Amino acid sequence: MGIRDFDRTLASNRMIFEVRRDAGKLQRFHADLEATMAAYGLTDVEKAAWRNVDIHRLGELGVHPYFLPQVSRLIEGAAYNHNKSAAARLYAAKMKIAGEE
Amino acid sequence: MAEIVAIVALSHAPGLTGWLDRASASVQKNLLAGYAELGRLLRQAKPDVIIGVANDHLLNFPMHAIPDFCVGTASRWTGPAPWFQDWVNVPPYQVAGHPDLAKTLVREGAREGVNFAFADELLFDDNWSVPLRYLTPDYDIPLVPIHMNCVIPPLPAPERCVEIGRTIAEIIRMRRPAGERVAIMATGGLSHDPGGPKYFAVDEKFDRWFLDLLEQGNAERIMREVTIDKMLAAGDGGTSELLAWMVALGAAGPRKARTICYEPAVELRCGMGAVAWPMEAQS
Repeated sequence: MGIRDFDRTLASNRMIFEVRRDAGKLQRFHADLEATMAAYGLTDVEKAAWRNVDIHRLGELGVHPYFLPQVSRLIEGAAYNHNKSAAARLYAAKMKIAGEE
Repeated sequence: MAEIVAIVALSHAPGLTGWLDRASASVQKNLLAGYAELGRLLRQAKPDVIIGVANDHLLNFPMHAIPDFCVGTASRWTGPAPWFQDWVNVPPYQVAGHPDLAKTLVREGAREGVNFAFADELLFDDNWSVPLRYLTPDYDIPLVPIHMNCVIPPLPAPERCVEIGRTIAEIIRMRRPAGERVAIMATGGLSHDPGGPKYFAVDEKFDRWFLDLLEQGNAERIMREVTIDKMLAAGDGGTSELLAWMVALGAAGPRKARTICYEPAVELRCGMGAVAWPMEAQS
């Protein structure tokens, strides 16, 4: 997985792009993930990855790598995002990579 | 004939404003001292306007329409974008734009073979929020932001980025009014890998090699050797932000850069560095 492997047509990429830019869409994303995923036309495999917060799988499906840590921040919050923050630990766990010791 | 009075490049990783306290005391000290020195150099040059060049972190352009270079033409900018405020930990700010200079770049760029997109609305994240916080904390120097594509292949080649920088410098010198003082500020890099397996790593060897090449002032060698493949190998998700530095390099010409600071700051998940190209007015 890398920036050369992402799929710019993937519905999840549009969803992430838009929810970060629009407070109303972000609120709906947090309030009702299923409705948001349906509105953006995510496939069943994309939806399953989101339900499981399977960041690695989202990458495999073609979500842009830059968005993947942002997924962890959408879930766990973005403030004080140091290497042992909840978002960074979620990213490390889901990507199966070692975080900071 | 306007004058380029300063050219600088620096990392913009959000850890610098968001969680710097997690870095060691020496990393904090060296980076804060380096960024303070770079800010002093920039402000000492008394620029009327800063042309910024940095990666657009997939924030402003939808996947179906990604420009390689987009010039911000607004008269006023605000930041950080709401979702990024607590991440970058920078209070809301406003900074003036410079529509006249921005439109000159777009108009004259087209004549010189550069297809600049342009926009009156651009969201700012760490790309400007982190550098401005340290370099121009009073937000008192107008900014013309150029958002570029550093992470959505196909990327503009290093040679093209250097060429764009040369063109920008030429436009400033030939198409802007005498007495106008312009600074160029590239932000991004050095090695980092947001979204990849090296998220918690830094490629210090690559970073020092790249900085050394800048200090040698050999743009031809940099274009030849600092390939996109090598940048991606040093950190797939973000190292190619150094393409913005290539634009600054093109504007700087044969000058040798001076490294102001460098720290392989794993705590900030980024090789953090800053350079300045000495300009005649400063020597």
